Amino acid sequence: MEPIITIRHLNKQYGTKTVLNDINLDIYPGQIIGYIGPNGAGKSTTVKILCGIIQDYTGDVTIAGKDLRGNELEIKKMIGYIPELAELYDLLTPEEYLGFIGKLYHLHDNVIEERSKRMLDSFGLLGNLNQRMDTFSKGMKQKVLLTSGLLNNPSIVILDEPLSGLDANAVIIVKELLQVLKQEGKTIFYCSHMMDVVEKVSDRIVLINNGQIIANGTIAELQQNGTDSLEQIFSKLTSSGNMIQRADDIASAINYTDQRN
Amino acid sequence: MNKIFLKLVMLPSGFWRSMGADTEQLEAILAIRLKMDDRKPLSFGRQQTRKKALNNVTLKTMFISCLMGVVYTMISFVNDIMFSLTIYFGYLLIWLSIMLITDFSNVLFDVRDKFILIPRPVNDKTIVLSKLLHVFIYLFRIVIPLVLPEMIFLGVYHGWKSVLLFPIAVLCLLFMTLFAINLCYLLLIKYAARKFKEIINYFQIGVSVIFFAAIYLRPRSFDAEASILQFKWIRFFPSYWIAVSWNFLGYKTELIGTQWLSILAIIVPLGCLLLMIKWLAPQFGRNINNLDISDTAEIKEGAVVTSTSTKKSLYHKLANLLNRNDTAKAGFNITWLQTSRSRSFKMRVYPFFAYVIVYFVFITTRNSKSTFSEAWHNLPNEPSFIILLYMCVIVILNAMNHLYISDQYKAAWVYFSSPVDTPGKVLSGAFKALWAKYLFPFFVLLSAFTLAVWGWHTILDIILALVNVTLFAVCMISVGARHFPFSTADQINQSGYRVIRAVLSMFLVFILGAGHYFLVKLDVMGLNIILKIIFLLLSSTFLWLVWNSYSNTSWAVIKKAEEQ
Repeated sequence: MEPIITIRHLNKQYGTKTVLNDINLDIYPGQIIGYIGPNGAGKSTTVKILCGIIQDYTGDVTIAGKDLRGNELEIKKMIGYIPELAELYDLLTPEEYLGFIGKLYHLHDNVIEERSKRMLDSFGLLGNLNQRMDTFSKGMKQKVLLTSGLLNNPSIVILDEPLSGLDANAVIIVKELLQVLKQEGKTIFYCSHMMDVVEKVSDRIVLINNGQIIANGTIAELQQNGTDSLEQIFSKLTSSGNMIQRADDIASAINYTDQRN
Repeated sequence: MNKIFLKLVMLPSGFWRSMGADTEQLEAILAIRLKMDDRKPLSFGRQQTRKKALNNVTLKTMFISCLMGVVYTMISFVNDIMFSLTIYFGYLLIWLSIMLITDFSNVLFDVRDKFILIPRPVNDKTIVLSKLLHVFIYLFRIVIPLVLPEMIFLGVYHGWKSVLLFPIAVLCLLFMTLFAINLCYLLLIKYAARKFKEIINYFQIGVSVIFFAAIYLRPRSFDAEASILQFKWIRFFPSYWIAVSWNFLGYKTELIGTQWLSILAIIVPLGCLLLMIKWLAPQFGRNINNLDISDTAEIKEGAVVTSTSTKKSLYHKLANLLNRNDTAKAGFNITWLQTSRSRSFKMRVYPFFAYVIVYFVFITTRNSKSTFSEAWHNLPNEPSFIILLYMCVIVILNAMNHLYISDQYKAAWVYFSSPVDTPGKVLSGAFKALWAKYLFPFFVLLSAFTLAVWGWHTILDIILALVNVTLFAVCMISVGARHFPFSTADQINQSGYRVIRAVLSMFLVFILGAGHYFLVKLDVMGLNIILKIIFLLLSSTFLWLVWNSYSNTSWAVIKKAEEQ
């Protein structure tokens, strides 16, 4: 099977700082890739490159057989992107916002309306269809964002921390949704810090640290015959100290008082 | 209204399509932007919007624009219609440029586009064009009442044909300004993206100098008999190209052989547009990501973000010196730091330092038929230092205008969750920071200049001016809606209004300073010093009263302002 996303020697620098350093990755159709790493590892930068937000990188990215450079518009039509921060025009209502997004993909009004309503209904937001989103909670905004990312029925779904702010029921819905989308043959690129979820839903896990891929495989391959959870593997590979000790240090800092006062 | 404007700008959709824009997407983007502009963002704790407040702003903006239009019509009057229109269009061009650079830069570079538009299949030409047309609609709204007085004037004195030609001329000017400024922006993004905002700052100062030059070089003393032949270089200015199109109505320009320049009024904006769309727009998406659009100043890799110990101790010392209350100190510190690091704040405030100097030079030489050096030598004979000192208020007023605005306005939740008893303490600390940072040092500098030129006998006037200027600033901040620093969102609807309000405040300063000026000029029965001391005592008492009320602002007042 041909990979749907091929990344070769991907590098990205901000000034003198290297954010991505020689990333090589093949992603196959119908896979859920869990893309994990500590804060500042380069996850969001990778995602932004795949979505065409960042265009000044070196290396090659091929999506569905097309070079990302020069085919941005064609590739963007295949992708559904859910960003990390709930970046949306929150002065609008969900109906207005989704109507706008649909138009950017040239979807017919009826299709936009039907898809929007059915997805929002499943998220329990149909009653808020005509309410301004600046009154919404973070989780409600996240649900609208998920809906907008899937509105164009993309073949590749890129999610950057999609469960942020969602309630427990919504988390279950999204986890199940990922499986259904996978069964439909869609490719899911999933960035998250929620290790238990990544461990459960991902076919393959890619761990990035300091701009480099340091582990790439199924959870069984990463465990290397052990019984460590993904959280423990993550900590072993990326941590530089004792976490319990650090927590103790924070607690003792809170209790500090100036003896002179 | 928005729907009408949208239909109007989408009329030449075939033309937009031929330039590579996707007209369906273009219309969708414009429609959604206009819809958002009509909605006021909710500040922390607010649940409902009130459209009335915005409508009032729109009406006020239109009224003040119309007043300014009357002033422009009056000060550009010369018997020769071509010359008169050249001056008028010149004022309009400079005014539009300042407004575009000062208040519309943020609209042109909306950070959210990066996540909402750029990941979608929208081409760069559509994005660039949507931004241009969005700003065009807003400028057009502001310009209509501004040009109305000149249109009436033309109708009365030059007939209906002039009235018909005038809107076309204004449209050409609008397109020319908008496209030319954007062309500069796109060039800057292409070649100097990482230094973009710093360069824009210098650009603004440059524009203010041009503003000065334009005013200074115009015919002196509103001389109606002035001839265009004295200013032959004017043919190189776009305002002349537009004015010379009156040639089609049978008017003749005294600058022989320049009639053809009217073609440039059409060609130049079209050329700019083509250059932008065909050459620069295709790289917009790529370049916008290089652009440092964050509101904070660029930090070099590895640099320590905290200020140096000297700077830190300076603002800490000042905070301790000027505030007794911890809450006020917090308000002082946050305002001092935010104003130092917010680029949009600096962009909007710093050029006004230059404007003060420009206006001062303009005013001191306004009635003089003499040369600049003669006017300079005559300076000590007139008490014009009063004007200079009072004009300082423009800087602090402008800083106050922008104190509440921030992209990160939602971060103001901290004030609401903290145990702040009297929010007025935060406000008073914030005001003191602006005073200590923007008014006082500048005032000291101008006072030193005053002492050097006019002598030590002006010392009482300097003290009186400082008290009056502070009083005026406190009164202005007290009568406006009281918000926490950096707690409200920027809005395009307010953009024109802020610039116009800043200009209007200049006229109010004249009124304030007039009393002091005449006190110095007319030494009533030799009681000059006693009158000044009485004036000083009255101003100080009034300042104390107003300040006391302001620094004790209650939560009820804050919440009322939030709801407006």
